[in-house]
Amino acid sequence: MIWALAISINAVAEPAVLPSGDEIARRVDERDEGTVVYRVLKIELIDRRGKRRTRITRGYRKDYGDEKRTILYFDRPRNVKGTALLTYDYRDPKREDDQWLYLPAMRKVRRISAADRGDYFLGTDFTYEDIKNETKGAIEDFDWKTIKEEKIEGKRHYVVDTVPINETVRKELGYGRVRRWVDAEIWMVRKAEYRDVNGNPLKSIRAFEIQEIQQIWTAHRLEAHNHKTGHRTIFTFSDIDYSTDVAADVFTRRALRRGL
Amino acid sequence: MNPTTRDTPAALFFRQVYAFPKTLLILGVLVLVVAGSFLPRLQKDTRAEAFMPADHPVVLYRRTIKDTFGLADPMVVAVVDRGAHGVFDPESLRLVAMLTDQIAAVPGIDPDRVTSLATENNIVGDAEGMRVEPFFDVPPTTQDEADRVRDAIMDFPLYVGNLVAADGSATVIVAELLDQGRAVDVYRDLLAIAESAPVNGEEIHVAGEMAVSGYLGTYIDSDVLRLNPVAVIIISTILFLAYRTVRGVLLPDLLLIATVVVAIGTMAGSGVPYYVITSALPVVLIAIAVADGIHILGQYYEELAHDPGARQSELVVRTMVEMWRPVTFTSITDMAGFLAIHFASFMPPMKAFGLFAAIGVGVALLFALFVIPAALMFLRPRPSSALTRRPGNDSGLQIDLFGRVMGALGRRLLSRPLWILSAGGLVVAVGVIGACRLEINEERIRNFRSTEPLYQADRALNTTLNGTSHLDIVIETDEPEALFHPAHLRRIAALQEFVESLPRVTGSTSVVDYLKQMNRAMNANRADAYALPDDEDLIAQYFLLYEATGSSDDYEEYVDYDYRLANVRVTMNSGLYTHGKVVVEAVERYIHEQFDADGIRATLSGRVTVDYHWLGQLRSGHFRSVTLALLAVWLVSAFSFRSVVAGVLSVVPVTMAVLMLYGIMGYANVWLGVGTSMFAPIAIGTGIDFSIHTVDRLTALVRSRGESLETAFAEFFPSTGRALLFNFSALFFGFGLLMTSHVPPLVRFGCLVAVGVLISFLASLTVLPALILVLRPKFLLGKRQE
Repeated sequence: MIWALAISINAVAEPAVLPSGDEIARRVDERDEGTVVYRVLKIELIDRRGKRRTRITRGYRKDYGDEKRTILYFDRPRNVKGTALLTYDYRDPKREDDQWLYLPAMRKVRRISAADRGDYFLGTDFTYEDIKNETKGAIEDFDWKTIKEEKIEGKRHYVVDTVPINETVRKELGYGRVRRWVDAEIWMVRKAEYRDVNGNPLKSIRAFEIQEIQQIWTAHRLEAHNHKTGHRTIFTFSDIDYSTDVAADVFTRRALRRGL
Repeated sequence: MNPTTRDTPAALFFRQVYAFPKTLLILGVLVLVVAGSFLPRLQKDTRAEAFMPADHPVVLYRRTIKDTFGLADPMVVAVVDRGAHGVFDPESLRLVAMLTDQIAAVPGIDPDRVTSLATENNIVGDAEGMRVEPFFDVPPTTQDEADRVRDAIMDFPLYVGNLVAADGSATVIVAELLDQGRAVDVYRDLLAIAESAPVNGEEIHVAGEMAVSGYLGTYIDSDVLRLNPVAVIIISTILFLAYRTVRGVLLPDLLLIATVVVAIGTMAGSGVPYYVITSALPVVLIAIAVADGIHILGQYYEELAHDPGARQSELVVRTMVEMWRPVTFTSITDMAGFLAIHFASFMPPMKAFGLFAAIGVGVALLFALFVIPAALMFLRPRPSSALTRRPGNDSGLQIDLFGRVMGALGRRLLSRPLWILSAGGLVVAVGVIGACRLEINEERIRNFRSTEPLYQADRALNTTLNGTSHLDIVIETDEPEALFHPAHLRRIAALQEFVESLPRVTGSTSVVDYLKQMNRAMNANRADAYALPDDEDLIAQYFLLYEATGSSDDYEEYVDYDYRLANVRVTMNSGLYTHGKVVVEAVERYIHEQFDADGIRATLSGRVTVDYHWLGQLRSGHFRSVTLALLAVWLVSAFSFRSVVAGVLSVVPVTMAVLMLYGIMGYANVWLGVGTSMFAPIAIGTGIDFSIHTVDRLTALVRSRGESLETAFAEFFPSTGRALLFNFSALFFGFGLLMTSHVPPLVRFGCLVAVGVLISFLASLTVLPALILVLRPKFLLGKRQE
């Protein structure tokens, strides 16, 4: 009787053959994120005591194939309004990224050396690497291994363990292992649990309010929670537009000063 | 045999009670078992903070501040190289890089919160903008490269003194813990890394606040495992020397076990943790409790020697009729000494020590009065070879060597009472002069022996870098982002300039320093740009830039999340209370007179401030406890002898002892500190016992037996004097045993009490009898005087 029960439970839990880790990695990597996007981004930073810093930015991102260009303007708070950041991310890992900053109070554009990809972006709980890859994990950095299938909010997800391919990447990223929950329908990472290089729980990132905008699946809210510091970050995207192309002169130092 | 023994109320009472020896024994065992069952609940608390009252405003404020600014107590590994290039040669830098990697891999260390030359970034301006880059990616291989690293870091004011020594002789690797509870294991791992590191002239030291408390925990374990068995062996040896019988050793041992188990058991049962100084408690209790056993057995063997044919039950009753008073009153004075500590001290470990020691002594008294006699009831009379009847002499006892020595000493001393009093007076005078030089001081690191790696690490950090003592000056403004106001920032800068001018202050860091650094980097590294900007928006944008270039918690220690509170971290290279006091008082005055203004206020916090406030109470707490103890023992003796004069006379020896101890401390430069503050009340409470036994026995001999004072003394020295000698030995060697502890404050404490006991003992058998001989007090001689 018990045996029969156990077998029947097994039968229910055992799905059809799960896609391989490589397969999932490929599908996630191929998911359309648009070549160009305009969006308003509200950044809320909450420290472990619940104190909050809120910034509102607007910006463009465009994928040029071998490089990605991003420009970000601060609108709020008032005392940093007009501060702007321009970044060229090169696909070639050997080439150092370029970054310029405009501080309106100085009225000068200054070149600032690019951060390491494991550094935190603008005091958030997202690293530059998280931001660059929209938290999905670069296909060339990790070994992907399918663990199981799990339902989140009624939707099927593949649970994948991703481990940096070597020691160098592990150190650069600051991650020892990342478990990701990949939506089986739209190949978007809905949830990820990060461990530090020693395997201690580090942070978790979750995506919310996933909707299709101009045929591109888009998370309107990302939340990161650092388990070590208790610090949290909430990204809220609005006014998202994938359809309007931008002129190349948007991504220039002159544009930094001029503003959008 | 004394005919009054038969029908005094005491005799009737004891006869009634001892009729049920089994019940008494079972009750005794029951108490032991119940108290013992709580022992497994015992928790250790070895934090330095445990000595501070948890509800003291300064302590509470510090806790808030630590939380607000995320001030951690990290582990610090220092690399010191006294060679020509200091740590800035390829070998040392490679060592630092290697250690950084190894430390980051230690379980319990947060790998994301390890800071060293190998992890930190240089922020440097150039014509085009600003570069944020590591001081080195891979360790330099040539001296030229190493020199460049040195130049870069020496040009970064925030790191000089904090990350590297100003003269380049040392650098630190700072590592935060994931969980403070793992400090002991982490400390051991770090020590192992330091020991196995391939050094070539470099010294490696491991320090850190968290290591301290963890380390004290291991001290406790080794102390407890070693001191307690040795104490039992020493005391048992003394007991055997005193009576040379097995029961003479085992019965008092029962007393010792009872007092220790009940004291520690009730402590565990009431949820009080085991503090660093608690390891002294069993030893102290053993030394004190055994006195009851010594005196009761001494009396018993004397009764037996006087009347060998008596029944055991009658012998026991006679013994207790004679002994219940001195045993009770000496126990009460011991308890008074401990309770004086309990009520006068403001430090939780001391309060607990006083309370549970008093409970232990109380339990020892109950066991001495009821359980030991009950146990004796089951035994057949068997004389002690140390105390036998002199053949052919009805009243005299054949006394052993100890008794004869004491007797001879007594005769010699009492022939010259005035000489003794003059010598006593001289001793007091010398003591008072020394006492005037007594200094109240404390330094945390002196809780460790100077040979300990931790002690040496502290010294290394204090001599090469900015030092290990922190003073936090918390700046509070009225609204979020008020710290962007240049006027407020300039005020903070002026405060820092003042603080840095004070003695023993090695540096200070605040957001002002970060802003100056950023301003210089954004202005092509021009030296004159190392200044505070005047534009509020620019300041806001610099802060934003800091966030963009690193993780925002880089300067979390210096400013709160909404830029309303700031913290000026001041470092001192001395942990001495007296050095901290100078700085705290000067800064408080400056804040009051020059800093506080509309919309901005400053408050002191940090270790130095907390120490200043709670150690400030040390003097008053100590002298309050001494006064309380003296008053209590005077009251108890006066009540016991129904005479104010008797009370005063009894207190003379302990007063002399305490004065002498202050004198010794003054001459020997031993501070009155946390560990040493407890000695005086305990020395008083235990030292008074010699006086009480002396006066009690003399009174009994003179008043009940009608002997002359001189005859009484002749009988007193070989019998009571002999028992007091063993009583003294137990106390002296018991407290003396603490001198072998691994915890220096306990060493000093044990040494002081032992010396105090010695002086009380000597004075009780010399000065006190001399005073009695000279004054011939009425309470003693009674009506016969007239």
